[in-house]
Amino acid sequence: MFALEDITKRYPGVTALAGVHLALAPGRVHGLVGENGAGKSTLLRILAGAAQANEGRILLDGHPVRFPSPRQALEAGITVIYQELALIPELEADANLFLGMEHGRYGLLDRGAMRDAARETLARLGLTLPAPGVPVRSLSVARQQLVELGRALVRNARVIALDEPTATLTPGEVAHLFAQVRALRDAGSAIVFVSHRLDEVRAIADDLTVLRDGRAVWTGRAADVDDAALIRLMVGRDVEYARQPAARAAAAEPLLVVRGLSREPAFRNVDLTLHAGEIVALAGLVGAGRTEVARCLAGVDRPTAGTLTLDGRDYAPASPRAAVFRGVVYLPEDRKRDGLVLGLRVRENVTLPVLGRWSRAGVVRSGDERAAAADATARVQLRPPDIERETRTLSGGNQQKVVMARALLAEARVLIVDEPTRGVDVGVKTELHRRIRMLADEGRAVLLISSELPEVLALADRIIVMREGRVTGTLAAAGATPEAIMTLAVAA
Amino acid sequence: MTGGARWVARYGVGIALAALVLAGAVAVPGFFTRENLTTVLLHVSINAILALGMTFVIVTAGIDLSVGSVLALAGVLAAATLTSGPVLDTVGVPGATVAAIVVGIGLGMAAGALNGAVIAWLGVAPFMVTLAGMTIARGLARLFTGGVPIGFPARDDPRFDAKVAALDALNVLGGGRIPVPGLPRGFPVPALVMIVLAVAAAFVLTRTRFGRYVYAVGGNEEAARLAGVPVRAVKLAVYAIAGACAGLAGVLLVGQLRSGGPDAGMLYELNAIAAAVIGGASLFGGIGTAAGALVGALLIGVLNNALDLLGVQSFWQEIVKGGIILLAVLFDVWTKRGMRRA
Repeated sequence: MFALEDITKRYPGVTALAGVHLALAPGRVHGLVGENGAGKSTLLRILAGAAQANEGRILLDGHPVRFPSPRQALEAGITVIYQELALIPELEADANLFLGMEHGRYGLLDRGAMRDAARETLARLGLTLPAPGVPVRSLSVARQQLVELGRALVRNARVIALDEPTATLTPGEVAHLFAQVRALRDAGSAIVFVSHRLDEVRAIADDLTVLRDGRAVWTGRAADVDDAALIRLMVGRDVEYARQPAARAAAAEPLLVVRGLSREPAFRNVDLTLHAGEIVALAGLVGAGRTEVARCLAGVDRPTAGTLTLDGRDYAPASPRAAVFRGVVYLPEDRKRDGLVLGLRVRENVTLPVLGRWSRAGVVRSGDERAAAADATARVQLRPPDIERETRTLSGGNQQKVVMARALLAEARVLIVDEPTRGVDVGVKTELHRRIRMLADEGRAVLLISSELPEVLALADRIIVMREGRVTGTLAAAGATPEAIMTLAVAA
Repeated sequence: MTGGARWVARYGVGIALAALVLAGAVAVPGFFTRENLTTVLLHVSINAILALGMTFVIVTAGIDLSVGSVLALAGVLAAATLTSGPVLDTVGVPGATVAAIVVGIGLGMAAGALNGAVIAWLGVAPFMVTLAGMTIARGLARLFTGGVPIGFPARDDPRFDAKVAALDALNVLGGGRIPVPGLPRGFPVPALVMIVLAVAAAFVLTRTRFGRYVYAVGGNEEAARLAGVPVRAVKLAVYAIAGACAGLAGVLLVGQLRSGGPDAGMLYELNAIAAAVIGGASLFGGIGTAAGALVGALLIGVLNNALDLLGVQSFWQEIVKGGIILLAVLFDVWTKRGMRRA
């Protein structure tokens, strides 16, 4: 009934999808699984008309169609429910339900008719229409999601796609959602269900497609595969990075010891120990709570429970500044948003946190500052080695090196690197890996957060896997396989 | 946000206005008279009309700095049309009056649409686009008039009588009074225009599809786009509305003063933004009402009037007004924060 054929989508520097086929049938749920970055979200955006494929075609009842904007996809009966719910927070539930297809004439709204229809639609989903004047932002996430599902009903959608719909729901809410999805399926809708919780996908999906690195590597009946086979399909890949072995053994004495660390509801009861000279990876899927752990260690957020000791002394950083003072430096995931001031020169970015070191009475001794910045950037092999360039003009990989140069100057003893090679060309990744290993070999403890398994395997001395806010296992580097990590990251 | 906080957010400014009027009635001699209160309404009307248009823009998370200058440009063009020989000769005084109104509002709407088009299609920040628009419109108004107000004809003007008649006709709109029993001097026409416009704006914002889209675009632009809302057209329209309101205000001012000056409306855009924000509109977008804009403008007007009657220096009035704007913005931030916690 509805099919995507040979879909290729390229973004500058990345091919997000390469020749993907996806065929949907009415009355069936089609599960879409894959690691972060496998191309699931891009595929949904193309389905929804929010992005356009560079190659390939979309067939509706056998006829090629084009969706230059979301409007055309909606008119063709396709509704995509994104993980980041697309509701207008200030508007009421009924206003959101009918957004873009309001009842009424001559531009006037028939609010009574819309409320009646909204009440009926939401009742079909087991939800009572909130009282007038209650904005949707005051509803629980599960209810907001049902409002979005109600939108699909209002639009008589023939294709309904749900992107990670269960990520923030309780088990009871998941059961309710699944009942609604099955009812929609039985009423003849074609459903796309995207999730990285394998147990859930297998519970709801009739058919499955596995995406890996932008390709559909397997399509078939959900009943024909087991978890182990699915995980093999998800992680088997062509990319592999050279292993960066430690040049010398890690210290015997622990440097940072974390016990029972919690920050509800993001993560709970996390234990971890870092030694000087080693790289420990925090593996898992996006949303497992890894960044939240890092933010607590770095003094950005306050934990709700747990004890931390650094060098045998209590460690409870009240601010990132306090953490840096104790030698704990966090290099955040989104370097453009949290890391670098792109309008500043490389030198200015590198020395920003420690400028006081070369200042007297607030005046910077520029010669010393320049020498320090030049030394730090040379050690991370910044290219070109021009510290007076505007940081914006550097490639992603070189911007990441600037962040590392900053960490060098900050005299970090514990370095937390969050997705250090995201958005960086493959060739540069290995070089960044070498730099990270160098930082550890110089005696720092490195906590690496990465969603890319080959990167974890190339760098880590130990691997701690998290899933849904809990540590599900610890693996030694020797003998760790992508399958083993992925099993801990996705399986129940 | 708790129910109490939401209640305060919705009615807080109205309560503040009522309290201010009550305090004025008790403490300020000459404040709580029918005559004085109608005068306040008249003085407030221009700012309130601008604030109503501004509210549409602010609800989409935009801003329009050009309305003061557009008011001046619309005003001088309306005045020129009204007193133009050829126009008076062909359509007479009633025709010229209508033409002046149409030219003023039309110019305002066109200028606003131009702002909106650049913002929506070229993706430039509203602040910068309308800052440029503000400067350009002011320059055009000065260029067009040579820096001198257009209006009252010279004694030896061959069409002296017709021009004076035309100015008088427009003065009915800008400075006229409608006889009302119990009000010796009647009810000012601009205040009536303001009230009609406020009702219309409230209707459009709450009862029409377009109004719904205005809130949707300001509340979550990407979500609105994904829901099929024509985001660009909505943006263009809100700036056109703000511009049309500025044009109307320009025409009213010409009628009131019997002349159109290129320096009219200086800093009016900031007063309009202040009124909208005091009335509860959020510069983050998605929140704001027509009633709020009206109440915000009234609050500023009542305060100025009461302080005037008390003989307080105008310097102090400015300081007090600034303090109230700050309070309103802090209040916005506070309710936003409460929302995030909820």
